[in-house]
Amino acid sequence: MPKQRNSITPKGRYWILYLLPALFFYVIFMAWPLLDSLRLGFFTGNTPATRSFIGFGNYVKLFTDETSRTRYWGAFGHTWYFFLINMVAQNCLGMLFAVILTNPTMKGREFYQTVVFIPTTFAVLVTGYLWKLLLNPVWCGDTLVRMHLGFLARPWLGDQSTALTCVALISCWQWMGIPTMMFVAALRNIPEDCIEAADIEGANAWQTFWYVKYPMILPVVGMITILTFVNNFNAFDVVFATENVNGAPSYATDLIGTLFYRIGIAGQHPIGIPDAGMGAAIATITFFVLMAGVVPMLKYTQREA
Amino acid sequence: MCFALFAQGTKESAASATEKVTLTMGSWRTDDVEQMNNLLAAYKKIAPNVDIKFQPTNPPDYNATLRLQLDSHTGPDLMYARSYATGQELFNAGYFADCTDIPGLMTNFTASNLAPWQMPDGRMFAVPFAAVSHAVYYNKDIFAKNGLSIPSTWEEFLSVCDKLQKAGITPLANGVADEWDILECFFLGMVPNFVGGASERVKYESGEKKLNDADFVAAYQAMADVAKYCPKGFESVTYNDSQVLFNTQKAAMFVDGSWTAGVYKDATFQWGVFAIPAPKGRKTAICFHPDMAITMNSATTHPEEAKAFLAWLCTKEGATTASKNLPVGYFPMINFEIKLDDPHANEFLALNAGKETDARFVWPALMDLYAPMNQAVIKVMRGEITAQKAADSVAALKK
Amino acid sequence: MVIWCCIVLFPIWVLLINSFKTRLTIYTNPFWIPRRWNFDNYRSVLREGDFLTYFKNSLIVVLLSLLLVLIISSFAAFALSNWRGKTSHGLYLFFIAGMMLPIKIASIKLLELVRSLGLLNTIWSLVPIYIAMGLPIGVFVLTEFFREVPHELTEAAIIDGSTYFRVFVTIMLPLVRPALATVAIYNLIPFWNDLWFPLIFINEESQKTLLLGVTRLFGQYQTDWSKVLAVLTLSAIPVLVLYLSMSKQFIKGVTAGAVKG
Repeated sequence: MPKQRNSITPKGRYWILYLLPALFFYVIFMAWPLLDSLRLGFFTGNTPATRSFIGFGNYVKLFTDETSRTRYWGAFGHTWYFFLINMVAQNCLGMLFAVILTNPTMKGREFYQTVVFIPTTFAVLVTGYLWKLLLNPVWCGDTLVRMHLGFLARPWLGDQSTALTCVALISCWQWMGIPTMMFVAALRNIPEDCIEAADIEGANAWQTFWYVKYPMILPVVGMITILTFVNNFNAFDVVFATENVNGAPSYATDLIGTLFYRIGIAGQHPIGIPDAGMGAAIATITFFVLMAGVVPMLKYTQREA
Repeated sequence: MCFALFAQGTKESAASATEKVTLTMGSWRTDDVEQMNNLLAAYKKIAPNVDIKFQPTNPPDYNATLRLQLDSHTGPDLMYARSYATGQELFNAGYFADCTDIPGLMTNFTASNLAPWQMPDGRMFAVPFAAVSHAVYYNKDIFAKNGLSIPSTWEEFLSVCDKLQKAGITPLANGVADEWDILECFFLGMVPNFVGGASERVKYESGEKKLNDADFVAAYQAMADVAKYCPKGFESVTYNDSQVLFNTQKAAMFVDGSWTAGVYKDATFQWGVFAIPAPKGRKTAICFHPDMAITMNSATTHPEEAKAFLAWLCTKEGATTASKNLPVGYFPMINFEIKLDDPHANEFLALNAGKETDARFVWPALMDLYAPMNQAVIKVMRGEITAQKAADSVAALKK
Repeated sequence: MVIWCCIVLFPIWVLLINSFKTRLTIYTNPFWIPRRWNFDNYRSVLREGDFLTYFKNSLIVVLLSLLLVLIISSFAAFALSNWRGKTSHGLYLFFIAGMMLPIKIASIKLLELVRSLGLLNTIWSLVPIYIAMGLPIGVFVLTEFFREVPHELTEAAIIDGSTYFRVFVTIMLPLVRPALATVAIYNLIPFWNDLWFPLIFINEESQKTLLLGVTRLFGQYQTDWSKVLAVLTLSAIPVLVLYLSMSKQFIKGVTAGAVKG
């Protein structure tokens, strides 16, 4: 039956009505302030009085000045590493848990699901403190030795080689609940008949997953990837709670999020004089990096129904 | 004279506005709410129509929050000011009021106490409020049990540490996880011993002396030497952990600032402080650092009342009341003689006797070197670089 | 699965038992039950009336923001999923761009804006900001889930004479209930635990949110962690309760969808 698009599907003008409230809040409280602040990327100076236009000066300085450059590329690399660990640990495990949780033979599903989610409800301050306590050889050393796990008594968070991995894993521990929840939702959405059909065809669990379920939840997988990607590039709280704003030790856990905060908002401790223009420059660059990652991802995983 | 002026001040405000005026005071000292409220209540007895509300902000966020509020004209009427460059910048931006003509300010403080809150041209942008000191906290009981006495030279200090370690006690509680504490309390507390006080510092600032000369290298080397006396796993030991280590007697000593003295108030053991000793042949100097000052917002709607409060702080009565309410470990900076109640606070002050004092080395003019120096100290303690390299890395960055 | 539970539950156990200890005993005995249970922390927290005020404030702000985010973004998502075209796609990207920039950078402008609206120092200053923060993710997730719903359902209803609006309310919304719950839960956490905006907008004691009130316990140099842990445990409870209630919605909606499909 040919689609009578013109009579059934309303034109854009109708839809704008639906979009108005969203646009109202979004533009006034997010888009406009953000764009205005990004404009600062082309200026230097912190107050209207001391501000002066320097074109791309901030960007140039970021990539040519020795210290700025080391910090930026360091943070950039760390953020990618952080993202990778999150992708693998958080999202793959999340997927695994979701599959387990949607398995009808699994007992106590709701209990496990809630348990997985509990860390997500905590303020990051709490998880930071808890894990700092647990990973500290000074407090845990004795207990570990008694359990014959003495080799685990290392300064995990204080060692440059292990700190970032630990922080990333702590972040996974905390946020595991979200992808698990979303994957559960997506898996449950798959119509029963598809699964039954696969069963009849004689597929085992693994095949059913890869060839039937996975393609059907691909949009959600894409969504989670995008969300993880974006959140990690703005990640700040978890480093702040487990280390400090500098990305101790020796900048090993410095992420783009902490770099931005240090430069654009709070300023280097203890001087505390930020460089709003430079901060805006960093944020703008981050934005473009994210867009460059998100748009292709969207094209790949979302379906145009 | 100030008293008369002050009395006139209150009469003025009483005459012009018998309606209540509420001022807000911003600060990074969330720890002092009780004490500050006492102080402000005492002030209220003198100026009953002025109500000052103390509204501190979580310390790590203070600078950022204050800036934002000042930038958008929602800042508090009175606020704590950071010293040197940070405060100067806010003054240059027009946020802090010029305090030079507050009665009693220029006369009741020594030049060196005014300096941290003074612009290069001599104008003051805040009223000095409190200073802090740095020393070695030590567990008297443990020392007595092991037959140890207070070391008078740096070499003796190291041997005390050695004896403690051989007896199975962690000598020092210091760690490097929070980064700032090892620099501000230990290294900068110790640097005057190695390079001299304020009169020498200016030579480094002007470039006459190099930041990687023998004295500095010796200082970095000293840090490297104490690393083995810090707890095992000190890379992960935070400032909070250090306090606990000392407080639970797991460590015998802790090189820290005077502000922690209040934490050990209820300690189950006897403790005291001694100055970080200088190497043999050098004179011990104390790092007595001007920390807090109060200033007023240049855009406040109640400039007279705010100014009156600041003027009160410059009088003997005001300063004494303020000192009574300062938390333990903070010392008044005014010229009048004020005796503090807490014995440990007096112990700290007594350390200053006969010694040269200076603010923390990088604060007056070399703040850009704070971060590189911090990293250098940490690296040297971990054994990643030699003391010479550490000194060189910082010297190379001096403009 | 069981291993993971242990990994999760153990730190939580540590959190709970340590909130019952006094400041120093946390460290002498970090992992086991306290030798002497110390209820002072909880007692003083609950007695100081402030806690309940903060709690009430947080609750109002969060629930209101969540409700509005859900309503507004589902309208927008419905529109975007049905409206094909370049403008629609552009608007979609416009919305999700909001996820990619740290909103902290716009703090000064937002502060000025809030001040000119006269909302400074009130909890109402937070609501529009949170709505703006929650919209991108709301639009993102809901558009996707709306697209999943077969177009035939909508068309059938239209042919039967219904308006798009009725389709929206009676058919679409129930079908995307899991997505709505997801968006709600996803936004619940940052709204409840947000520290930054209450910090810069609110100074008035009676208007502070819960987490902001907690940070008062953080001194410059010393922090009483056992007290902090007590407060934070208490503040995690409402979130957990809200989560549980929403996930029930979630399950209900999901099974409804499966049956219909």
